[in-house]
Amino acid sequence: MRATVATRPLILGPTLGRSTLVLAAGSVLLVAAAGIGLAAGTSGVAPGDALAILLHRLLGIGSVTWPASAETIVWELRLPRIVAGMVVGAGLASSGAVFQALLRNPMADPYLIGTAAGASLGAVAALLLPALLPVAVTAWLGIGAVQVLAFVGGLATVLMVFAVARGRAGTPVVTLLLAGYAVSSLLSAGVALLMFVAGDRLAAVVSWLLGSLGGASWPRLALAAPLIGVSFVLLLVRWRSLNALLLGEAQAAALGVDVEREKRRLTALAALATSAGVAISGTIGFVGLVVPHLLRLAFGPDHRLLLPASMLYGAVLLVLADTGARLAGGIPVGIVTALIGAPFFIWLLRRSLVVPRG
Amino acid sequence: MAPRTLRLRAPLVAVALLALAATACATARPTAPASDSPDPVAASGLASASEAAPSGYPVTVTDARGTDVTIPAAPDRIVSLAPSNTEIVCALDACDRLVGVTDFDDYPPEVADVPDVVVSAQVDVERVVDARPDLVLAAGNELTPSSVIAQLEDLGLTVVVLYPESLDEVEGDIGLIGRILDEADAAASLVDGMRQRVAELTAAVDGLDRPRTLYEVYYAEGVTYTAGAGSFLASLIELAGGEPVTGDAQGTLPAEQLVTSDPELVLLGTASYDPSLATPAAALEAVASRPGWSTLSAVRDGAVLPYLDDIVTTRPGPRIVDGLEALARAIHPEAFE
Repeated sequence: MRATVATRPLILGPTLGRSTLVLAAGSVLLVAAAGIGLAAGTSGVAPGDALAILLHRLLGIGSVTWPASAETIVWELRLPRIVAGMVVGAGLASSGAVFQALLRNPMADPYLIGTAAGASLGAVAALLLPALLPVAVTAWLGIGAVQVLAFVGGLATVLMVFAVARGRAGTPVVTLLLAGYAVSSLLSAGVALLMFVAGDRLAAVVSWLLGSLGGASWPRLALAAPLIGVSFVLLLVRWRSLNALLLGEAQAAALGVDVEREKRRLTALAALATSAGVAISGTIGFVGLVVPHLLRLAFGPDHRLLLPASMLYGAVLLVLADTGARLAGGIPVGIVTALIGAPFFIWLLRRSLVVPRG
Repeated sequence: MAPRTLRLRAPLVAVALLALAATACATARPTAPASDSPDPVAASGLASASEAAPSGYPVTVTDARGTDVTIPAAPDRIVSLAPSNTEIVCALDACDRLVGVTDFDDYPPEVADVPDVVVSAQVDVERVVDARPDLVLAAGNELTPSSVIAQLEDLGLTVVVLYPESLDEVEGDIGLIGRILDEADAAASLVDGMRQRVAELTAAVDGLDRPRTLYEVYYAEGVTYTAGAGSFLASLIELAGGEPVTGDAQGTLPAEQLVTSDPELVLLGTASYDPSLATPAAALEAVASRPGWSTLSAVRDGAVLPYLDDIVTTRPGPRIVDGLEALARAIHPEAFE
């Protein structure tokens, strides 16, 4: 399957029929993952009740035969987590695909050029200095200062990295990577320093840094999901630029792409989706790195398919991983995604030693 | 390209390692009393304990956060998120009202039959809700994460946070739970009994030499975690007739400061969890090989004791007086002959 993709010109990509099949399968898997996530839990809510509660709340059908606590568990605890897993997983995987194409770097993930360090510094600062953001602002937004500052920190850091890397002749990819490294190091030092002086609050800091969907709630989603949704739409319509960039910047320019403008826009959109996701969940590793690689290996590098497939399969992976994390006694979901992701990544590395890339 | 891209992830890896290291520390010393922030519970709760507040609901109490919490009716489905809270509830004859506890709860024995809603120090919010509690007793100082407390309150649960940092505050919290449960008389007599025993114990060690006493909560990589300056544990050691060797507010005591403090008596609370330290000879040998420890007075005099009562000494519930007695007997065995 891979061989046929490799011999086909990049811009043509897969056939319409196969794309439809891949995306339809992803949608079915996503519904299944959501169903499993909704039915499975650590309390005694019967899987049948979980479905009945969902139908009752969404469509108003059926009569109430369950205790109020079961409804709270399904509607206020499990469902927001599942939706958050979908939104964050889709955002991470598609941003990862964008950064891997944009930076032409197989190790690029959504956090590489500053999002993680910036969001972490924002969140940790908010945890340790609650007075940083006036209560009136967070009350108005309906979410905590931690979420607001994580979002702002992540987005602002990427914009700063971009500004640092930007020269008269544009923004070379290598400069962007190194600027990301430098700024991230600086901010990580800030995070480390804050952790060192955190004292009793250290546990709160650590649990944020490890990443979790446990704090997912409807108000948080109401703010983050539209931001991620908008960036999805604007990313999906840029598949042509991404495909062209895969060939190299000179070739992309020759194909009529305004390379510098597209780099700016793609970076801003991917950073927007990532930062909004981080605000919900903290940093969760490997989804953004592994899902695009997996899909590229299986279905080829055409972003017309790769972007929507990354969204779907990223959502599937994170919903399943989070369900596993919940059932395993609330361990951080990053541990589960890493347990799935790291062996795959090692395999990928080993494989790249044998088969030359591209 | 490959080596450089690998290096680019270094800061993330560093943060991750730091986070893991921090987790290890945080989980390793959950019992170290820390911080000396004022606690408004003590005064109000204590007063009502001894005066036996009039029963009748709603009852409003001020918890360790300084938050006024109103209890509309006598709670009969209680979730306890800390073993100390569980012990207070049971000491007030309300064990049968517990519908959720932690997997670390071991006293009184009948709580083994109550479902666990805290597993490996992680609050399982779904199980808390499933227990349909009308009262959740959480622990302060991030022992119950503040994000979890906020989540439980958002779900409409009544949460009271307790974090006693002294003997007075334990007594105050007993009074507070007594008011909440309409067991104010039982709370008052429990507190009276505790005070009487404390008076007897302090009288027994009164006037004796006060050895510089190091209580080891945890030891790793040259750093000892012990009683924090001004902490509950430090105050107990003082009451038990010792001069506490303390770390910083979190109880961290680097090796150089330990050598400077030169404890005359070392109590290994870690022996409660590490069977290899259970005998005095093994304990002495183990600590003597730590860098810098061989010069300590306690080590040279062989005054290094496995201390097996860590739980009652560091769990701020009604049995804290048992912990005080265990400390006094360890520091001044001669006073109890």
